[in-house]
Amino acid sequence: MSPLADVQRRVRDAVVLGDAASVASLFVGGTDAAQRLAIHLRHYRTSLVTAVLGRFPATGWLVGTPLLEDAATQFVREHPPSAPCIGEYGQRFPQFLATWPGAERVPYLRAFADLDWHLGRLALAIDLPVLTRDDLAAVPADDLANAALTIQPGTHYAHTEWPIDELMTLCLSDAAPAQFTLADTEIWIEVRGARGSFRFARLTAAEFSFRVAIADGLPLGDAAQRAWDSDSTFDPGLGLAAIVDGGLATSIGRNLLGVQP
Amino acid sequence: MSSIHHMPSRAGVGLRLPHIEEAVATQPSVGWLEIHPENFLANPHATELLQELAGRYPISVHTVGLSVGSVSGVDRAHLKRVRALIDRVDPVLVSGHLAWSTHGAEYLNDLLPLPFDEETLQLVARHLQEVQDGLGRPYLLENPSSYVGFAGSTMTEVQFLNELVDRTGCRLLCDVSNVYVSAHNMGYDAHAYLDGLPAEAITELHLGGFSPEDDAATPGGTVLIDTHATEVASPAWDLYAYALGRFGLKPTLIEWDNDIPAFTTLLGQAAVADAVAATMIEPEARRVAAR
Repeated sequence: MSPLADVQRRVRDAVVLGDAASVASLFVGGTDAAQRLAIHLRHYRTSLVTAVLGRFPATGWLVGTPLLEDAATQFVREHPPSAPCIGEYGQRFPQFLATWPGAERVPYLRAFADLDWHLGRLALAIDLPVLTRDDLAAVPADDLANAALTIQPGTHYAHTEWPIDELMTLCLSDAAPAQFTLADTEIWIEVRGARGSFRFARLTAAEFSFRVAIADGLPLGDAAQRAWDSDSTFDPGLGLAAIVDGGLATSIGRNLLGVQP
Repeated sequence: MSSIHHMPSRAGVGLRLPHIEEAVATQPSVGWLEIHPENFLANPHATELLQELAGRYPISVHTVGLSVGSVSGVDRAHLKRVRALIDRVDPVLVSGHLAWSTHGAEYLNDLLPLPFDEETLQLVARHLQEVQDGLGRPYLLENPSSYVGFAGSTMTEVQFLNELVDRTGCRLLCDVSNVYVSAHNMGYDAHAYLDGLPAEAITELHLGGFSPEDDAATPGGTVLIDTHATEVASPAWDLYAYALGRFGLKPTLIEWDNDIPAFTTLLGQAAVADAVAATMIEPEARRVAAR
């Protein structure tokens, strides 16, 4: 290992783990360089904790800022960012938060925090030009089962055991009632967002399977099969029409490689 | 490789996300705008607005994540993303920091200091070339703000920058506030620092606010933190005037990244920079007119 590589390894550990004294002998600055190096350690911690808190505003509303801040402080020690776009940092935080002491009392916490993260992402998305019925009609009927759709980038699907969409709507309304009961109810939701706004829609289990399969890039025939696994009466023609009429699809390819019609 | 485009003589401001919709709506009178690409790469809506602004203003792209000083190398995936953004907004300048911020697959979200020695010089020169090749443009390097130095450094920061310019032909972004902050914190003469820089390589100037704190490393002393959270301090304006005298008029940027105020406050700071520059131009203009 080169001298510089060794220096950067040691400084990395000091910064992430918050231990300036361990590398103080490398530095000069004032009469106690460790105190000066601590400025960098503090910046790492506070900037990232602030970023995580900013990324999970509704989760902070739900569990309180002190708990979220404690968890975020530990998260940034254990999981430094992997890329320079800090706006993308924190996707794994809901999973981490779900293991935090006290989280067991909030069984929907991980799903709610995950939705919180995605709402932040969806609000920054943009809508792309939509696929029309005429575009769809241009695909030969025999090819349709092997065709794959591309959907709007600002789309997220969630299947949970709790109606977290109601809880999120409550948070966003900024008008908490005196009492709110969250019933243990299985839901399938689609969230769409673009240019600063988003909206929720509840789906049936079959619709959800159909749309998730399409979002994953599966051909329409396979997506239909996924839906029939949930509900044998599902009509893929109606399901496809709803997707197109809703402006959810942006392009169609004749095969899995996404060749345009 | 593309050359650096013509820059306006008026000062510009750092465009941060809270101001972007206002900038699009009001089209303020300002020389140019500088962005951090890392704020836009995961934000398609802001990028859409930025493209609209790029049609009206010269744009400068100032990276914070390319990390030319990391032994683990330049993050090529990030470099490609920055290149894609650059291709969309066609900036007049592209710049980044003499620092390191990545370690392996981790990004440490800070501009960490480098020892100034031959090993670092070779590494930075190599990475600088890789970045310029990857971006297809010159990449200006900015002097750091320092709280510590390396006991093992074998040259000063100014010697390091001169050597880097000599070896690579790179150009420099001189952050005047960083010079003031580092000189205060590390106990050297800010004017001598500016005197020592290769004037022909200076292509852009930065000004930002800093915040004094009690210096835990020197009881009774003060350390200046490069917060970019306040107005440019009076001694930094004085040093800016000195820098203009040394380097001539250069595109100058006002940076404000934390506790972000109303956009008009940034525009006001840019107007101050223009006024300082005007005081440097007028005597020269009068001398020329008198001949």
